[in-house]
Amino acid sequence: MMAIRELKVCLLGDTGVGKSSIVCRFVQDHFDHNISPTIGASFMTKTVPCGNELHKFLIWDTAGQERFHSLAPMYYRGSAAAVIVYDITKQDSFHTLKKWVKELKEHGPENIVMAIAGNKCDLSDIREVPMKDAKEYAESIGAIVVETSAKNAVNIEELFQGISQQIPPLDPHENSNNGAIKLGRQTSQMGRRCC
Amino acid sequence: MNIKALLSLRRGRPSLPQPPEPPAAAPALSAGGARVTAPPKMADNLPTEFDVVVVGTGLPESIIAAACARSGQRVLHVDSRNYYGGNWASFSFSGLLSWIKENQQKTDLSDECEDWRKLILEDEEAIPLSSKDKTIHHIEDFCFGDQDSAEGVEEAGALPKLPVFGAPAAQRVSPGSEETPAAERVSPGLEKENPTVESPGEEPQTPEPEQAPGTEPARAAPGAEAGAAPGSGAAPSTASGESAPEPAKTEAAPSESAAQEPKKITYSQIVREGRRFNIDLVSKLLYSRGLLIDLLIKSNVSRYAEFKNATRVLAFREGKVEQVPCSRADVFNSRQLTMVEKRMLMKFLTFCLDYEQHPKEYQDYESSTFAQFLQTRKLTPSLQHFILHSIAMVSETESSTLQGLQATRKFLQCLGRYGNTPFLFPLYGQGEIPQCFCRLCAVFGGIYCLRHAVRCLVLDRASGRCKAIVDHFGQRISANYFIVEDSYLSESTCTNVCYRQISRAVLITDRSVLNTDSEQQVSILTVPPLEVGRAAVCVIELCSSTMTCMKDTYLVHLTCPSTKTAREDLEPIVQKLFNLNTEKETENEELEKPRVLWAVYFNMRDSSGVEKSSYAGLPSNVYVCSAPDSALGNDCAVKQAETIFREMFPAEEFCPPSLNPGDIIYDEDEIEPEESGLNNSPETKPESSAEESSSGDGAAVAKEE
Repeated sequence: MMAIRELKVCLLGDTGVGKSSIVCRFVQDHFDHNISPTIGASFMTKTVPCGNELHKFLIWDTAGQERFHSLAPMYYRGSAAAVIVYDITKQDSFHTLKKWVKELKEHGPENIVMAIAGNKCDLSDIREVPMKDAKEYAESIGAIVVETSAKNAVNIEELFQGISQQIPPLDPHENSNNGAIKLGRQTSQMGRRCC
Repeated sequence: MNIKALLSLRRGRPSLPQPPEPPAAAPALSAGGARVTAPPKMADNLPTEFDVVVVGTGLPESIIAAACARSGQRVLHVDSRNYYGGNWASFSFSGLLSWIKENQQKTDLSDECEDWRKLILEDEEAIPLSSKDKTIHHIEDFCFGDQDSAEGVEEAGALPKLPVFGAPAAQRVSPGSEETPAAERVSPGLEKENPTVESPGEEPQTPEPEQAPGTEPARAAPGAEAGAAPGSGAAPSTASGESAPEPAKTEAAPSESAAQEPKKITYSQIVREGRRFNIDLVSKLLYSRGLLIDLLIKSNVSRYAEFKNATRVLAFREGKVEQVPCSRADVFNSRQLTMVEKRMLMKFLTFCLDYEQHPKEYQDYESSTFAQFLQTRKLTPSLQHFILHSIAMVSETESSTLQGLQATRKFLQCLGRYGNTPFLFPLYGQGEIPQCFCRLCAVFGGIYCLRHAVRCLVLDRASGRCKAIVDHFGQRISANYFIVEDSYLSESTCTNVCYRQISRAVLITDRSVLNTDSEQQVSILTVPPLEVGRAAVCVIELCSSTMTCMKDTYLVHLTCPSTKTAREDLEPIVQKLFNLNTEKETENEELEKPRVLWAVYFNMRDSSGVEKSSYAGLPSNVYVCSAPDSALGNDCAVKQAETIFREMFPAEEFCPPSLNPGDIIYDEDEIEPEESGLNNSPETKPESSAEESSSGDGAAVAKEE
């Protein structure tokens, strides 16, 4: 049986660029035009095979806390990857992308895999951000970049496959999880073991 | 179950207007309070009507916010600071330095604009809120001179008594110039990061190092007490030092030269690795069967955090630190106890677990202290010490037999749930916990605004109820209920309130107070009062795997109820446990002790236990939350949150388990994954699955006991 690795992925980007839609498309293969801005799932999961491992993505949405620039540092803790989303039809959202990257570098874990998603590529007739700009910027910070459409299911799978491939192979030393305890369902077993 | 959850979620989701445009590029988020960002020019489309407005992001406020959002209320949660947690926050090293600096500058903005008063109508009254946090006093921070001081001048090893303090001062010809190259800027920073003593006119303090054997460098004290020295703001702060790139050689050189002591950590390394620190303003642990753990599990907020077990309970007796055997296994494996002692201790602890069944054993001593009772129990002095100070953790002179028995039982009952001690500590620090509750609130539609000051509460004269707040934009935001953390209340509201104080110290040290085979220990040590009338001091030592300090260092928190300033209360204990000397002056016996690399002392106001009636003129729909208390656990905050929530919404459940809204949004066609009853085995298929399904979590909660 393949080993399962849980990988926390956090989503970043301005309100309204389609963060939640990307997750919904990826996890549920569903798109909702009327998605409310604060529908932040606590986190959603999807497991995908990668080499001889299974990657179980725990995808965290901002739950709207980015709206007034009040994301909590705990949001970044332990993330293996971050998907930073902008809207190709909004130049502003590409500008703030850089702020999110800076924020991530300051507060996120080191060696976090960064993926930039230029969402709403189905609307390329009103595009404001050239693909070239995004590519150059992504290269400069060592991030993956794709243009996506959560609406038309373009490049969503590819985005996460790209992340999967960038995740470094499991370090045997990290395997033990350093003795960290998760409360809740696992701990009922844990408790039994300790008693 | 699903339907019910669906309904509650539906209610929980406020209908927000979709912002027509993405918010303007604003300078980023908080986190660690490393930066003070100016408030955004305008709150983009912040709704003006809520059910509950919560002011302050400390633990009780955050729990209430989560509980309210969870039960379908529209919640606005604001904090005037640029970080979460208020006095429950944790900081990176640079963040803590900024916090220190901010609190040392006691300049009250008296020129405050009161424009908002114009917004108050005739049938209304304003209750102004305080704009400045006045809960922190007597902050003194110290950097203990180490070889690093000379790094700026690149003298590896060979700098015995160079004028460590004079040198950088002389170097800093232009203290105001921020353009100084990073390498140079580091040296004043390392030498003394406390900006208050950096005023150029203070050279007379230079001779200090020679005359100060046995005490910490006294140089910081006067400056710190005197408050901000002029020009301190201009001095290069270490906050900038943290991010300043440093030449790598500064690190390598001294560690080679000081080869006899491996892994010597220098101040510049602390600065450089500053973000590895998560330094809590309050130092607490979670009792594994305490109210907070129960609430975390019950509400599913636990999934946002991870914990470490405290690994050791220590005692300080006759000048020595020793480990206290507290679980059955510990007692049997103990090498320090004799067979007789092991039997005595086990017998006594077994009795404590169900002492109420054996009233005869303690009835005669109900009016005595627990310490006196212990003396009658055929226990050796060391066992009495362990039980009184490290297990019951009660006062020798004040706690009654029953209090001692209760405390001992609580300790014992918490053993074994997660490990061999009763305590858990959250990875990344206690400051994570309020944030976790805030996230739950946000997931259920709560709106978050840091850096959002509230000017006043608006009272409706006719009804006597509070109906709105006015924020720093002059925006009026109405609600039915208002939760305000104590420190936001103005002096006139609090004139009759009598506050206690907590004395705190935080040290960064180079090794554990008790070295054993494993470096990664989380220890709690209770130091009995050194003189009568003082309180015992709680010492919590954290290792780097708790993600609160950099590798090869320990973060030590000391806490006690104040009798004097924090430094006066705690420094005697620090001197007993640690080596405060620079190594040149170190005597042999001091070498045994951990060396303190950096330290801060401060007093924090303890507003717990204040009756609401003590606050003057607060309407009935305004509830006050307390700042952290001095107790080890978090029960006080959880109780307060639950009490306030129940007063507001007696019919609602307090923090029931939450589902993932993701499960529900697509209810029409996506019900299946929920109902397939997936528990803990999503491995079965590499398919999408909704995390934290109701069935799985409900089962876990039910199973807990």
